[in-house]
Amino acid sequence: MAYQFEFTPVFEHADLLLKGAGFTLALTVTGAVLGIGLGIVGAICRAWQLKPFNWLFGAYVEVIRNTPFLVQLFFIFFGLPSLGVKMGEWEAAVLAMVINLGAYSTEIIRAGIIATPRGQLEAAASLAMSRAETFRHVVLRPALQKVWPALTSQVIIVMLGSAVCSQIATEELTFAANFIQSRSFRAFETYFVTTAIYFALAVLLRQVLMALGRRFVIGRPA
Amino acid sequence: MSLVKIAGLHKHFGSNHVLKGIDLEIAEGEVVAIIGRSGSGKSTLLRTINGLESIDDGEIVVDGATLHAGDKDLRPLRLKVGMVFQQFNLFPHLTAGENVMLAPTVVKKTPRAEAMEIARKMMAKVGLAEKFDSYPDQLSGGQQQRVAIARALAMNPRVLLCDEITSALDPELVNEVLSVVKQLAAEGMTLVMVTHEMRFAREVGDKLVFMYQGRVHEAGPPRELFANPQTEELASFVGSIN
Repeated sequence: MAYQFEFTPVFEHADLLLKGAGFTLALTVTGAVLGIGLGIVGAICRAWQLKPFNWLFGAYVEVIRNTPFLVQLFFIFFGLPSLGVKMGEWEAAVLAMVINLGAYSTEIIRAGIIATPRGQLEAAASLAMSRAETFRHVVLRPALQKVWPALTSQVIIVMLGSAVCSQIATEELTFAANFIQSRSFRAFETYFVTTAIYFALAVLLRQVLMALGRRFVIGRPA
Repeated sequence: MSLVKIAGLHKHFGSNHVLKGIDLEIAEGEVVAIIGRSGSGKSTLLRTINGLESIDDGEIVVDGATLHAGDKDLRPLRLKVGMVFQQFNLFPHLTAGENVMLAPTVVKKTPRAEAMEIARKMMAKVGLAEKFDSYPDQLSGGQQQRVAIARALAMNPRVLLCDEITSALDPELVNEVLSVVKQLAAEGMTLVMVTHEMRFAREVGDKLVFMYQGRVHEAGPPRELFANPQTEELASFVGSIN
């Protein structure tokens, strides 16, 4: 006998899915803003070789990029309390995402910074601009322009990766899906709908980020 | 009393001794053209005058601002010296007007309205008042270089350094840049230019400096030097370019 599709049990919990999707977006937006901020700081330290911060950020980037996100999350949520650092699942999830995205965006933004043509720096220097003034007004925006597509992709990877936060009971989209599946036993239907929601979120987020990039990073009429 | 005074200047790139004791004085309002073969040290000499290249020995004084070997604070010197580059080096994310306004607002903390007024004046001076809101990639090479000149002038420098500023331009665009430079010279701007435009150097220059193997080999009024070179090297250089 063929499998009978039955989506009703899933849609009965539409409020949970919507709430979960909202949490996933909130996690991603918070993680992206703070993570890219951290990445800019890290990229400056690495690009300018500010000792000892360049070394610290170098080690941080290597550790994060060479270990699984799930383990990083477990370390923060289950490991740190042993040292007396306790936090809720929401805070742990945000922290893990910021730390993860911070490492990747450090490297992405650093690439943009070191691609600054030497002549740009010389022009700024000849106008008596300091290194900090040069960075803020001459280097940063073109650097972000160059790497904005890569940063956008990384934010979406982090958004999709936030699914594992369900493992520490952060009530985001995958957590909601697991809950619905365990009640309804409708695994195919539940994860089909969840997949569709993630897909829609990712497409939407990419459009929003590209639009933000055009408006604020590139910042000029086409 | 000279505006720019260079004394005993030495510069090495690793084991390569590129400037071997340069002494040069430039008076206010003087137009100096530095010529020589590539590798003779002419661009390096120019770039030491605003501290883009560090020096190993000697002294540079521009209107009271001094530079010695190992100096870290270059701002006083750079406030007196403007520079225009071969490759224009406009900031691509800013409009022409914003390029000109940037340093006055950021470095001199000039109020925005006043900086804009200065920028408009400078853009008009280089004949590009109507390109104020254009981005660099919407301008021709000659126009970009004129914006670069306006950008340097907006900081009100005492001396303007020009590093082969027409070498990257298509031949038909060279004159629009040179005529701006000529106009600056006529207004009494002190100019130091590394150039391959010998006709321009002869026409507009007050002093010609011929660099050879890291030294000032010959210097004097351009017409005399071109007509009657005292050294074999200058004679051969003049012969090779005419």
